[in-house]
Amino acid sequence: MGIVFTRLFSSLFGNREARILVLGLDNAGKTTILYRMQMGEVVSTIPTIGFNVETVQYNNIKFQVWDLGGQTSIRPYWRCYFPNTQAIIYVVDSSDTDRLVIAKDEFHAILEEEELKGAVVLLFANKQDLPGALDDASVTEALELHKIKSRQWAIFKTSAIKGEGIFEGLDWLSNTLKSGGG
Amino acid sequence: MIAGVNSTMNHRPSELGRPTSTKRKLRDLLLQRDNRACADCGAPDPKWASANIGVFVCLKCCGVHRSLGTHISKVLSVTLDEWSDEEIDSMIEVGGNSAANSIYEAYIPDGFSKPKPDSSHEERMKFIRSKYELQEFLKPSLRIVSMPTGKSSLRPSFSRKLMDNFRSSSTQKTEGMVEFIGLVKVKVVKGTNLAVRDMLSSDPYVVLTLGHQTVQTAVVKSNLNPVWNEDLMLSVPQQYGPIKLSVFDHDTFSADDIMGEAEIDIQPLITSATAFGDAGMFANMQIGKWLKSHDNALIEDSIINIVDGKVKQEVMLKLQNVESGELDLELEWLALDQ
Repeated sequence: MGIVFTRLFSSLFGNREARILVLGLDNAGKTTILYRMQMGEVVSTIPTIGFNVETVQYNNIKFQVWDLGGQTSIRPYWRCYFPNTQAIIYVVDSSDTDRLVIAKDEFHAILEEEELKGAVVLLFANKQDLPGALDDASVTEALELHKIKSRQWAIFKTSAIKGEGIFEGLDWLSNTLKSGGG
Repeated sequence: MIAGVNSTMNHRPSELGRPTSTKRKLRDLLLQRDNRACADCGAPDPKWASANIGVFVCLKCCGVHRSLGTHISKVLSVTLDEWSDEEIDSMIEVGGNSAANSIYEAYIPDGFSKPKPDSSHEERMKFIRSKYELQEFLKPSLRIVSMPTGKSSLRPSFSRKLMDNFRSSSTQKTEGMVEFIGLVKVKVVKGTNLAVRDMLSSDPYVVLTLGHQTVQTAVVKSNLNPVWNEDLMLSVPQQYGPIKLSVFDHDTFSADDIMGEAEIDIQPLITSATAFGDAGMFANMQIGKWLKSHDNALIEDSIINIVDGKVKQEVMLKLQNVESGELDLELEWLALDQ
């Protein structure tokens, strides 16, 4: 089985990184968040056709963070990256209220995935710097987060541009992973 | 939100690139002469669009449009995104880049030149914000109508803040970004005469690796001639090597044993598919071949065919570094152009 196989490899290579997937609709801010975490800077991005992967060290945990492209026709291929994932960071453009329903559908489709059963979920209600952005409570409601069963999750208001909320989220994530969640 | 239902992950990859009739209207509009160049910088062959503004733009300018927020510009890919009928209709209503620019660039002041295809991110940013967010180049009469809240209130402070943020962080990071050129679908069909790793049989499964990606089939219990018929998907970056294939015997209480391996050279498939372009335009035919040689694992020459508009390749491999075993695969190439 896959789990046995990779556990074997981790013990052989002493690989203690937590594998994190950053998912969300196109233009939610996934790549900006990845590089904000990794370099502490705002980068100018173009759409990610494919993926970016970076290692981020935080609170004594090494995160291997995969940022996957969000365009409609790329989303079906997210599943290629699901095995052995400890956590999902799901990024929502809180100001793009027209597409919150799609963001909700994609999110709940991810939670259904067998391979992500054990993954903890961190949500970023991103783009708080834009006018009309919904706050974390409204995003919680729009994404129907109350329906999440038997899984640890948390939501944070973030602005990747201003650097707000992201490291609070990573604090939660590292504490949750250290205490054995995921 | 009609698109919501279709765009969830249950969406079948095989539906990629099959335009519906509304999608065809969008393609037709894209082929219109003025839309063959980016509305903002003039770069050829734009594949992105701002659905609410009604312009086609290049990848670099699309990056700037995205940073403005969807209340200013809703960016979609012509090839990678699903469009709603309303979005397509509103693009058609605007009528393309010339019509849109005749409004948004009606009065460009002297000394303010449009960015060029090789302009910096900062130059693009400045122009695109002036053009659409601040709407500085509209006819004076239109400016009042289109911005009833008045420029003096909320917007300048908000946009100045945005601008300051971008100024403080002009370091551009592009290394580390990988762009896929397409996807290889590998159907693991069956294994024949595989090696014995337990008492009398084995519990085989197949692992495929390409770069960082690893995918695997289910385990078939106690079978040396397993039939999987399982589709695995790998994304192919611009710089790619062979797919590495390994067969393992699943053990519950100890480490899994190796039952042979092989490499699959995907270059013949990708090269011949790229040479033919849109496979949907061709009848069924042979377009290429991966030749059997002493340094690959092929049992016989592997033919690359166009079958019903799809580029497919049947591969029969003799597993290496093992006493016995053969594996049948079927590859399919799905190009992913932006």
